[in-house]
Amino acid sequence: MENKFIIETVDLKKTYKGKLHPTLNGLNLRIPYGSLFGLLAPNGAGKTTAINVICGLRKYDSGKVFIEGYDLSRDLKAIKPLLGLVPQDIALYPTLTAYENLKIFGGLYGIEKPLLEKRIDQLLELFDLSASRNSYINRFSGGMKRRVNMVAGMLHAPGILILDEPTVGVDAQSRMMILEKLIEINRAGTTILFISHYLEEAEHICTEVAFMDNGTIICQGHPGDLIDAHKPCGSLESIYLKLTGKRMRDTQ
Amino acid sequence: MKKFRYLLYKDYLLLRRDVAGLMLMFLMPSVLVILMTLLQQSTFHAITDASVPLLLVNNDQGELGRTIDKELGSSGIFRVDRQINGKTLSLEELEKEVASSRYTLGIYIPENTTIGIQRNVARYVLAAFSGEEVLPLLDSVGFTIFVDPTAKASFYTAIMSTLKERTQKIEFEYILKEISRQVKEISPIPISTEGISGQQVYIDIRDARLKGKNMIPTPVQHNVPAWSLFAVFFIVISLSGSIIRERQDGSFFRLLTMPCSYTDYLLSKAIVFTVVALIQFALIFLIGVFICPLLGLDSLHLGSSPFALVVLTFSSAVAAIGYGVAIGNIADTYHQSSVFGAISIVIMAAIGGVWIPTYIMSEPMKKIGMFSPMRWGLSGFMEVFLQDAGLKAVLPESGMMLLFGIVCFAIAVTFNYRRRLDV
Repeated sequence: MENKFIIETVDLKKTYKGKLHPTLNGLNLRIPYGSLFGLLAPNGAGKTTAINVICGLRKYDSGKVFIEGYDLSRDLKAIKPLLGLVPQDIALYPTLTAYENLKIFGGLYGIEKPLLEKRIDQLLELFDLSASRNSYINRFSGGMKRRVNMVAGMLHAPGILILDEPTVGVDAQSRMMILEKLIEINRAGTTILFISHYLEEAEHICTEVAFMDNGTIICQGHPGDLIDAHKPCGSLESIYLKLTGKRMRDTQ
Repeated sequence: MKKFRYLLYKDYLLLRRDVAGLMLMFLMPSVLVILMTLLQQSTFHAITDASVPLLLVNNDQGELGRTIDKELGSSGIFRVDRQINGKTLSLEELEKEVASSRYTLGIYIPENTTIGIQRNVARYVLAAFSGEEVLPLLDSVGFTIFVDPTAKASFYTAIMSTLKERTQKIEFEYILKEISRQVKEISPIPISTEGISGQQVYIDIRDARLKGKNMIPTPVQHNVPAWSLFAVFFIVISLSGSIIRERQDGSFFRLLTMPCSYTDYLLSKAIVFTVVALIQFALIFLIGVFICPLLGLDSLHLGSSPFALVVLTFSSAVAAIGYGVAIGNIADTYHQSSVFGAISIVIMAAIGGVWIPTYIMSEPMKKIGMFSPMRWGLSGFMEVFLQDAGLKAVLPESGMMLLFGIVCFAIAVTFNYRRRLDV
């Protein structure tokens, strides 16, 4: 039977050293192929740990992780080229130009030089960055850095694009542009795992969302279906607050 | 391999754009080598040119005064002045001159010192020959030595010991002469002490040499390898800083989500910084060979075994880079790594003989210095430069540095693995 989930975690558990409570407490995350999937959670719910585990950056205690059917514990090498990570931090070299950054990251994915040049040009054009191709990253605005950060994760045309808070700290114009491009990329066939605190963004662009709290998924579905199922809540934000509570979640 | 080239390209670009780091790695040691060598060269000349300034006031008209004057003048250690502006000074004036640091030493020999000694000796010998059991009371005879209070204790001790030895020798000769004179008076057989030397045992002190080469390094021979090692170890600041910045800005984690292993990441940094270290060595050695002679200094003799030199420089680079990688992985912040890195390198340099040659260090310091990788490197370079040693002779030093570097790499990998993966 064909697997319908591009990412699937089964009873995933992880407790950090020195911590009493598990950060991932039997996480069962199922992300369908071709979806624009929103993972919504309060601070400290375990979403960054989940992403780090999925990308092979952290070890987990128990459970299973499958990416396009590959078992993470065995096939990390095969999984890496399938993933494109856009971290919340601007993970770029500030003293290098946008082009130099992209050339290095693309080169590390093993993309042949002519194709890499073409991809860099296409993506810079797509994100309206062509004019700043040879400018140093440390001279870019916050919005421009965010866009280059996204381009760096998309150079190898990954099957799954994971974006951690891609619109944090950018102006309305840049945010709008980023969201539009994400819809465009998703429609072109890339599955997107979108992590955000901005619930209206998720409601606007996601084909499916999951609420996560205390290291596990507490609710999952199409935004419209969830709103219908949780009446009188009229928005994802209301459902989110209803499910996760109004208590502050400060974490270290 | 193609992917690895991009890692090398990244590390090369990051290094090229780190202007402050490059200045620290190339400009600082170049300037330090030249400055320190020039400074030490002048001190070296000050000692070898026998110019310890000494003011001698000799009011004794006898033989002792004349002998001391003559011995000091011919010792090769002192530049002896006897008058200032044609005037012979009093005891107080002499003290004032030395206290104001115009002279390092001042010696005041009072009038009739020789006569006083002769009288004392005569009384003593006479009493001894007449069989008296109680020794006669002797007149107080002596001279005064003033020492510049700013002179170092070691210098003071050395000079005092030399002066004491010389005055005792003179005193001994007088005693011998007086005994001889007294014996002549009572003995029918004339006794001569002429030709009897106070130095029956001849101690030949020489600097250790091998195949005619001097083992005491000149300032150039010491400073060039010493500051080269210091500079190479200062790579730690730039290297550990680069590792921490990549970790903090997230690019390191991005790299690890790509088909790029931590070993590749580390190897790329090690290769780029090893090349930098080798360029540093080459640059500073070239300064020693070509620039130093233009400044009136000696030219650096690079020994007769290029292979030994290459192995030593390479192993020094491995030690320094391993240390940098370890600090980069252990420290949490750039501030931590730069402060700890700089201080630890300065300590390693101090105990390793970079600032002060090991042969003038105290024994405890020499023992502590054995733990500094810079000492191992410096010791190896000294063997190559001063003794024309070959590869076999420098294998222990090279081996120690390689081992140190490998241990540091192992610590870095373990630390990173445990922290990053939380295992």
